[in-house]
Amino acid sequence: MTNTADEQPTTRIRRFGLYRIAEHWLHAAVFCLLVVTGLAQKYHTYDISQWVVLRMGGIDAARLLHRVAGFLLILLFAQHIAVAVFGIVKRRWQVSMLIQVKDYQDVITNLKYYFGLKNHPAACDRYDYKQKFDYWGVLLSNAVMIATGVVLMFPIGTTKFLYGEIVPAANVIHTNQSLLIILVIAVWHIYNSIFSPEIFPFDTTILTGFISKERMLREHPLELERRERAERKAIKAASRVKSG
Amino acid sequence: MNLRTILIVSALLPLLQAIPAAFNESMADVTPPRNDACLACHSRQDIVIAFQNNESVSGHVDADKLKTSAHGELACSACHLEFSADQHPKRNFRSREQFKVRASLVCRRCHSDEQLKARPVHVELLERQKTGVPAICADCHGAHSVIRVTRKKSLNDDAKGCLSCHRRPVLIPFQKGEAQSFVVDPALLEASVHNKLACSDCHYGFSREEHPKRRFRTRRDMTISSAESCRRCHFDKYSKFQDSIHYTRLSQGDLKAPVCTDCHGYHSIAAMAKERIVSANRCRKCHAAIYDIYAKSVHGNALVNEFNQDVPVCVDCHTTHDIQSPHSVEYRERVPQMCSVCHANKEMMGKYGLSTDVMKTYLSDFHGVTLGFYIKQKNLLPSQAKGIAVCTDCHGTHNITSTVSPDANTVKANLVQRCRKCHADATDSFPDAWISHYKPSLKRAPLLFIITILYKIFTPIIIIGLVLQILLHIWRYAVSR
Repeated sequence: MTNTADEQPTTRIRRFGLYRIAEHWLHAAVFCLLVVTGLAQKYHTYDISQWVVLRMGGIDAARLLHRVAGFLLILLFAQHIAVAVFGIVKRRWQVSMLIQVKDYQDVITNLKYYFGLKNHPAACDRYDYKQKFDYWGVLLSNAVMIATGVVLMFPIGTTKFLYGEIVPAANVIHTNQSLLIILVIAVWHIYNSIFSPEIFPFDTTILTGFISKERMLREHPLELERRERAERKAIKAASRVKSG
Repeated sequence: MNLRTILIVSALLPLLQAIPAAFNESMADVTPPRNDACLACHSRQDIVIAFQNNESVSGHVDADKLKTSAHGELACSACHLEFSADQHPKRNFRSREQFKVRASLVCRRCHSDEQLKARPVHVELLERQKTGVPAICADCHGAHSVIRVTRKKSLNDDAKGCLSCHRRPVLIPFQKGEAQSFVVDPALLEASVHNKLACSDCHYGFSREEHPKRRFRTRRDMTISSAESCRRCHFDKYSKFQDSIHYTRLSQGDLKAPVCTDCHGYHSIAAMAKERIVSANRCRKCHAAIYDIYAKSVHGNALVNEFNQDVPVCVDCHTTHDIQSPHSVEYRERVPQMCSVCHANKEMMGKYGLSTDVMKTYLSDFHGVTLGFYIKQKNLLPSQAKGIAVCTDCHGTHNITSTVSPDANTVKANLVQRCRKCHADATDSFPDAWISHYKPSLKRAPLLFIITILYKIFTPIIIIGLVLQILLHIWRYAVSR
């Protein structure tokens, strides 16, 4: 499994930097705040919703909190896009989140694997298709929620430039899209990062930034291979410099 | 008989008061009606009891009435405790009022509170006594002619006496202005709901014996004062009335504010009107301008021109006795509830082809949700002074028009004006943000309908797909272990 003992001083591999860890935490917090204040308004007739709203200091306070959280989400969203554009254009980052043909092939491969038609699951790169689905789901959802949320926050401003029907349409999209993304997160994201038998009880990667080599080999073999190739190249180059 | 003569003499002549008291008392126990001694003086018409403040009351007792009264069997001293043939202590009352209060205490020696409370009117009187307003038994029951106030009394028996004068025009003088003539029509009285009551049930203090002179400043003063009688029986309505805007205005000195009799009438008082327009016309007496606007509205027009009995009249929204100011926040908050009494009634709205979704759609929309929370959080959080749009803010109040009439365009055009009352910078296209009270459908708001359908289809598909993948994953994991 391992090449030499010397090349594997640690079984941990750094996967996320501090910035991504902080970004995930902030996003999780803002998301939870939006869900609580939002669902209490969506399902306002339920006792629990009314309890939540009254605890927050009334409907006006709950709406204000929801809008403040929405504003924070806009900030998070904007900086994420800005950093991504900057990284890809200036720093020549690999666009590892881009959905590729291979991801669709991986889905089919994995389905075959689940049904016993293949002995191994798909070999994935830095992000597998499940993670990409999560990421793009949240990213696009955020874009939709932000756009419709701004319309709902400024209905009069909106109707200065757009048709009046936009406002109720934004309302319908906002309320339905919220439910969709909450369910996706609650089912897909929570399963894949907590309840999946392969990582249960908890995937600590996004909290510590480290992933075990064993999991890396199982879940992201292509990335591991590329990393090791790069390391070997670097070692060779270093020894060449030494010997030269 | 000789002995009686002696007793009479002893009562008449203070000189004979030296006859031993023990003798008199023992005699009083033996002979039942020992009233002759008292009546020897008190049957005289000119006997007068004077009070310190120069008021006086007649000391005359009608022996016949006393005998036929409910207390006919009693001796004078049964009520006038300290008085007897030989004892006639001098009393010195401050006023007629004080005299009456003391006299009423005598009645209560035999008539316990429990006994009195069997009649509702007494309950109220006893309650008031606790607040310092004395209950004078004789005001209703009379003194020596003490009568039972029974339900069996018919108008004819009791009113006969009063009507002997009052069926003809009687001039009642007022301090300000001319005297006015009043006439009581026995036919109206007979047809009223109070036809089993005696005159003195309302005009208390008046009886065949007593006809106190009263002098009101104006006719209005008399009306307001007379209406106080109603509460003796209708105390529930009276206490509601005390919470009303009309009472508030009255207590602030606005004598135009209506009292019971202004709406219900007095001698001709009738049961609640069956025709709704009668009720509306009562309010019209003072609120004529508003009535005229109402009469042109979709509701008023149906009432006046079609004799429709489904439409709301004034009291359906404003209530009857405890009418509140319609400008209060509490009143605003109740508006959706008021409208929904009819507009959420499927049976009634079906007759006119109107949707009953109006209430539901309002409550699920922004304004309705806000209002719902404002009402709930009112007692728990600092008050929300902000008014939130209710039915009447868009539809109007007294001038409500149909939204499907040829005037519908005007309704739409007016809507932006209504929006601007709260949203000052609302644009012309802003009202389009309101898809009216209908659920989205392909005909109305197709965009919303399609978006909703798409989400309804794809949300379950996506979630079920994800769950199936998860189940497959778990199954495969379990199998390969």
